[in-house]
Amino acid sequence: MKKEELIAKLSSIIADVLEHTNFEMTEELTASDVDGWDSLAQLMIVTNIEKEFKIKFNLNELYELDNLGRLIELTNTKIDQ
Amino acid sequence: MNNYTIRHATKKDIPFLAKVVIEAEKGGSEILNYSTLFNLSEEEVERLIIEMFGHGIDGCEFSVTSYMVADYKEEPVAAFGAWVENSKGNKSSNIIKSNLINYTFSKESLEFLASKSYLLKNLIPVREPNALQLECLYVNKEHRGEGLGLKLTQKQEEFNKKNHPALNKVQVKLYANNEKAINVYKKNGFSIAKSYKSDHKEVFDYLPYNEILMMEKII
Repeated sequence: MKKEELIAKLSSIIADVLEHTNFEMTEELTASDVDGWDSLAQLMIVTNIEKEFKIKFNLNELYELDNLGRLIELTNTKIDQ
Repeated sequence: MNNYTIRHATKKDIPFLAKVVIEAEKGGSEILNYSTLFNLSEEEVERLIIEMFGHGIDGCEFSVTSYMVADYKEEPVAAFGAWVENSKGNKSSNIIKSNLINYTFSKESLEFLASKSYLLKNLIPVREPNALQLECLYVNKEHRGEGLGLKLTQKQEEFNKKNHPALNKVQVKLYANNEKAINVYKKNGFSIAKSYKSDHKEVFDYLPYNEILMMEKII
């Protein structure tokens, strides 16, 4: 999948869960930068990403999701597997 | 207290710790949030909690290393969990717990939670980095009134203070209708720092109460 298309889909998933678009999709973006992105939102965002792309992150990968850059990278890798 | 010994939990305690988490979460009610919010039976929840403990992750209520256990005649009868939040730059315990749940629970259970997540919006207490978090205290009915809760609290504070000399705050969250526990914590130097409340009437079908208190003590 093209990176731009992936970023657009991830942005939509995140906005759906958070119910706002007050964030910029930069690689350095972390949960603590975004209003309402708490642990429940994290759980919902990851669940919805896995459902949308029919992928499943393993436990090590979940712990690596420190910022948006890593989320994009790992999602892309899982889609291609 | 002479008949009881306090020790750190080991992997062998996982089945007991799963029961501790379940009973602590019920808070004396019949409602288990992991059952109601994920549409699972209590037996299924117990199995999943055992699996989460089995991953050996530190820093949350599903970590064996968080718990101290009280034994009576070499059998565990009480336990209390504690960890220092964001210790050594680690992720927050809520995120650690989220990751474990995401990995362990089924897609269907997570989708059920998603459909009910609006109920939890204002009910996720914020934990302070570097504060000691107390979670999941449980004492078997036959062994209550022996001071085990207080003893386990003291041991957790001593142990964690020794490993984190700069530790100066303890936090504990509990349902606001648990007046007995609130009073015990108040008597032991805790005060109510914050309240988290949901106005959805439906929340009473999924949680023991609609308000969670964060209590704190400076040590």
